[in-house]
Amino acid sequence: MRVLDPQSLSQHVDRLYRAAWGLCGSREDAEDLVQETFAKVLSRRRVLHGDDDLFYLMRVLRNTFLTNRRTASRRPQTVATLEDVVTADPKPVSRPEQAIEMQEIYATIAELPEDFRMALVAIDVLGLSYREAARALRVREATITTRLFRARKQVAARLADEPEPAPRDRDAERGDAAQARRERLRPGGVLPSRDTP
Amino acid sequence: MTDRSPPTESELVELVRSSDVRAPESLHRKINAMIASRASRSAPARGQRSATDARGYSLRPRLAAVGAIAAALIALAVAVSLSGGPSTLSVRDAAALTTRAATHTAPNESSSNHAELAVAVEGVSFPYWGRHFGWRSTGMRTDNVDGRSVTTTFYSSGHRRVGYAIVAGNAPSQGSGGVVSSHDGTEYRLLTYNGAPVVTWLREGHLCVVSGRGVDGATLLRLASWDERRPTNS
Repeated sequence: MRVLDPQSLSQHVDRLYRAAWGLCGSREDAEDLVQETFAKVLSRRRVLHGDDDLFYLMRVLRNTFLTNRRTASRRPQTVATLEDVVTADPKPVSRPEQAIEMQEIYATIAELPEDFRMALVAIDVLGLSYREAARALRVREATITTRLFRARKQVAARLADEPEPAPRDRDAERGDAAQARRERLRPGGVLPSRDTP
Repeated sequence: MTDRSPPTESELVELVRSSDVRAPESLHRKINAMIASRASRSAPARGQRSATDARGYSLRPRLAAVGAIAAALIALAVAVSLSGGPSTLSVRDAAALTTRAATHTAPNESSSNHAELAVAVEGVSFPYWGRHFGWRSTGMRTDNVDGRSVTTTFYSSGHRRVGYAIVAGNAPSQGSGGVVSSHDGTEYRLLTYNGAPVVTWLREGHLCVVSGRGVDGATLLRLASWDERRPTNS
């Protein structure tokens, strides 16, 4: 058990921002979400039970995101105009195509079903281990593995404009889980994480 | 990503994991201010918190948040007032022109430079994309917006249509907002207007705007940043 050191949090801003972008699909919303997350975390003294800072921040980010979305669904919708767009990244990137590519990828992640999106953001964007992601999202580790596997598949398919797979039956889902486990264990597989070599 | 093959699953994971997208500096500043504020509050209270302190713990962050929001609102108001001038209007209006109908016939390819059309605004030529990208010139129009002449040429490729506008006179800025990307020293700004992607940048001090229907931002950026002297940019 330890007290969260506020000074150590600034190192996580960029990573949390990317995670928020993946959740919201918009850089402006991501900025708001990160700011709100930090405001919550810093509002009082926090005691962590053996968790690392990033894991804790992910939990708060997720809860804040879900709360905001529930609140927003009760508000009337507004449409942004050209003047409403706030400068998202004053630091230009070296390749315009790369900026757009990332923008499309994050936008596509944000369109995933919530469970898949959370899994992908927790592991691929934030870099949590499967165990940490499972704890942060309060699901079993095997569930995270399957969701991540399917999330990646869907993002790749959507970026390739492929038709999405039809709803699966239970057997097919078990097949996905097995394939995801194999992929996770395969050396050099596409599912590396902090708890897999 | 229309003109490139989409990433495979493993490339996608690699891209996401290696992404070095940084949070905006303004966000870093706000959060650092929050952390500093939190650190300064907690130092004297450490170890012996009274009931008053406990109340302060919940109240002061709110005051700090209100302060931060007020500062952000002031910054936003300044930004809006700065961007509300003629340059922003030109971006919006020029973007609107790129989706209108052509009023003149298509300009021809320049006889002296095969990467340009035979039409220019104060020495700034319109590109000829037919040879390199397969986008043929389909028409042109000229308008006057806020006392500035705007010339727009139109291109099409299949069902896709793009308008390329050049505003006469020196543009004080290329507006604000969107995603800023830099290519060979030129900053390109990608925005959305009425649901369509818009790219703005400056060429020899002239505001240029490219927009179109059925075209994604990456394609617009590739077209806008194309220079026939850079063979890699295709």
